[in-house]
Amino acid sequence: MSAEISQRSTYTPAPVHRFKVGDKIVVKRANPPGHRRTPFYIRGKQGVIERICGAYPNPEELAYGFDGKPEKVLYRVRFKQTHVWPGYAGPANDVIELEIYEHWLEPAGTQS
Amino acid sequence: MSNMHPKTIPSDIGGEQAGPIDTHDHGMKHWERQANALRSVVNMKKITCTDELRRAAEELGDKYKGMQYFEITTSAMRTVLLEKGHFTEQELTAKMAEIRARFNVPDEMESPIKKAVKK
Repeated sequence: MSAEISQRSTYTPAPVHRFKVGDKIVVKRANPPGHRRTPFYIRGKQGVIERICGAYPNPEELAYGFDGKPEKVLYRVRFKQTHVWPGYAGPANDVIELEIYEHWLEPAGTQS
Repeated sequence: MSNMHPKTIPSDIGGEQAGPIDTHDHGMKHWERQANALRSVVNMKKITCTDELRRAAEELGDKYKGMQYFEITTSAMRTVLLEKGHFTEQELTAKMAEIRARFNVPDEMESPIKKAVKK
């Protein structure tokens, strides 16, 4: 990677992360008030970690004028469309990928 | 439904019926260009940040759906700048009256944001 590209990138490494690529997760089924970056339709759904995007200031804190520290790990998570949308009419192997922060994710199978 | 609770964020519309989509390019009105430029400047100068503006937009609640894009973003900028004390409501009102008088703005050109608030 050239120096120019690394300077432009907003990527910040996430050496400490709870999940690894391939882990099965479930998105928290919660509806807290405030600025939340996890879409309503994906809450409670099961997916697989596709990549670790990096660690970033928490937008749920930045939204209220705070500094967003500590940074939160952001993942790209892959979901099956047929799982996300009941009655999905497209091909059965279609997926949708969303970028979701770590504090919205739990290991699959552990949720109450 | 995957959730028991009602949605609380008006921009979170994934999965809702979209209805017809207006694909006509409406261009930008003069005030929209100016407001957009100002929003870029206050973000670049780190006076506001995108997450704050998004949050302030969401807090429009039921008014959100009746407003156009630049009305929403400009209203959000106004909210956050007031919150952070860059000017007061009184100072803003006085400045708007001063400018309005200077340019002799007719009533029919009243700001769409003001109209939306009146609804």
